Amino acid sequence: MDNLTKIFGEKLIAVNNVNFTVEEGAIFGFLGPNGAGKTTTIRLLLGLIRPTAGEVKVFGEKMTPSSSNLRRRIGYLPTNPRFPPKMTPIRYLDFVGKLFRIGREERMRRLSTLIRSVGLLGDSSREIAGFSTGMVTRLGLAAALMNDPELLILDEPTSGLDPAGRKSTLDLIAELGKEKTIFVSSHILSDIDRVCTDVGVIGDGRGIFSGSIKDMKKSTRSRVIRLELEGDLVKFCEALKAAQWVAGVETRGGFEVDVTFAPSMPMAEAVKEVTDLVSRLGLDLISVSSSTSSIEDAFIGLLRDEESRGFLRAA
Amino acid sequence: MKNRVGSSEQPSKGEALGPFWAIVHADLRSLFRSRITYGWLLAAIFIQVVRTLGSSGAGTTSSVVSSGLSDFIYIWSLVIIGLAASSVSSEAGELADSIMSKSVTRFDYVLAKFTSRVAYTLISFSVVTAVLVGLALKLEVSDYNALGLASAILLIALTLVMLTALGVGLSIAMPNTVMSIVALLVLWYAMTIFFPVIGLDVLSPGNVLGELPGIIRGTWSFGEWETVAGFVAISGTSTALSAAYFYMKDI
Repeated sequence: MDNLTKIFGEKLIAVNNVNFTVEEGAIFGFLGPNGAGKTTTIRLLLGLIRPTAGEVKVFGEKMTPSSSNLRRRIGYLPTNPRFPPKMTPIRYLDFVGKLFRIGREERMRRLSTLIRSVGLLGDSSREIAGFSTGMVTRLGLAAALMNDPELLILDEPTSGLDPAGRKSTLDLIAELGKEKTIFVSSHILSDIDRVCTDVGVIGDGRGIFSGSIKDMKKSTRSRVIRLELEGDLVKFCEALKAAQWVAGVETRGGFEVDVTFAPSMPMAEAVKEVTDLVSRLGLDLISVSSSTSSIEDAFIGLLRDEESRGFLRAA
Repeated sequence: MKNRVGSSEQPSKGEALGPFWAIVHADLRSLFRSRITYGWLLAAIFIQVVRTLGSSGAGTTSSVVSSGLSDFIYIWSLVIIGLAASSVSSEAGELADSIMSKSVTRFDYVLAKFTSRVAYTLISFSVVTAVLVGLALKLEVSDYNALGLASAILLIALTLVMLTALGVGLSIAMPNTVMSIVALLVLWYAMTIFFPVIGLDVLSPGNVLGELPGIIRGTWSFGEWETVAGFVAISGTSTALSAAYFYMKDI
């Protein structure tokens, strides 16, 4: 995506000068809050809508509404997919195969394999109208894989699924990621953290970050260690405050302590010093974590940074 | 090397028609399996049977067939309006995305919609008209000319094709199904009732009905040719403009 911009009706800037590159073979998580422009970006990526400015290149070629030859190499699962209600899974997948110009023999072979792999074999002759959300999503995944795509685009694939459905969908994405490039949008951060190798973050239509998940966490790393302890916390906090490398100490809820360390102190050394102190004072260490070890914190940190930059730009 | 579908090579001409025929086939199948179609065909055939048997011996072939064909302009046009004007707009959103995100061009999709809806209208019309004509030829006083009868049926078929083309066109141009149905209702009844008042009688389906008995008896005038040309032009223009619009718009 190169300076990609989409303005609807000269009123709504849905996507604003976004630049992302997805490497071949990556599982790229596309993160953003609701209404950030994720689905619009995906529809631009598929050539379903035209960009107001900038361009999208897929497999090195410019994507346009006429690029049916490029879409032939892409599988797409929309959010809350809708299918013709009177069709059965077999008939629908056969229809999808025809849309991809797959020969009859190959269509039959693929649809029978896919129906089995997504666990719809027992319902393959039932009309789609009676399917649950999970079954519809599984059918959508089978349809997205019907053409054996090189690039798989999944728009919020776990939306509306129960925990078991979520887990099996994420396992399937991880499995497919071994042989395909996957672009998966979501606002469920733990899903992205679990399966993706790379991540792009969008907020209010603007691209905020693009890189590996590790880099994303690093970029927003704060100099805070959170400890959960049992024992004499007062003594522990006093000892910390006396240390030169400690910039601040804060207790939370009687058993949690946040230790902010000085910029000159490397993270690994700070952790070592703190745990040594815990041992020396005979405290029981329940857990230790960096306060931005979760992708949630990193994501919120990025959105907050972008918001403050927005204010600066406006000023 | 693994044989993938995913190749950006241009498909052959035969392959390229695949998505078009797939959409036509799926759309026709869904239409002919709907309760609306069953209800429409049963009601239309029942009315034609009752009409023909009721006038048995008292009417002529031309009057009974004209009367039966007029049902399509005044009554059954409502079914055609509902189905044609919802053809594209009712699929906007996820359903259209599910199709258009595949190896389908916009022309494949929109021309398939025109083809399937026109085929549906013509097949339904043919079934009901076959019953009407079959009964009328057996039971009524014969005053028809074979060529004239065929011309009358084809003229009504062309009128319905025009209505369908306008409906599909409006369903592409309008932002939602209700608006496209209302717009087509207004347009259709304006053409049928008000066009003769403002001197555009050759483009009025209502005027065609007035000419039907004469056409069935073998009278075909220059005015009928004007009507045919007008209806063909309206259908073609509607199809071309709406296909071009669909190609350019965001879906």
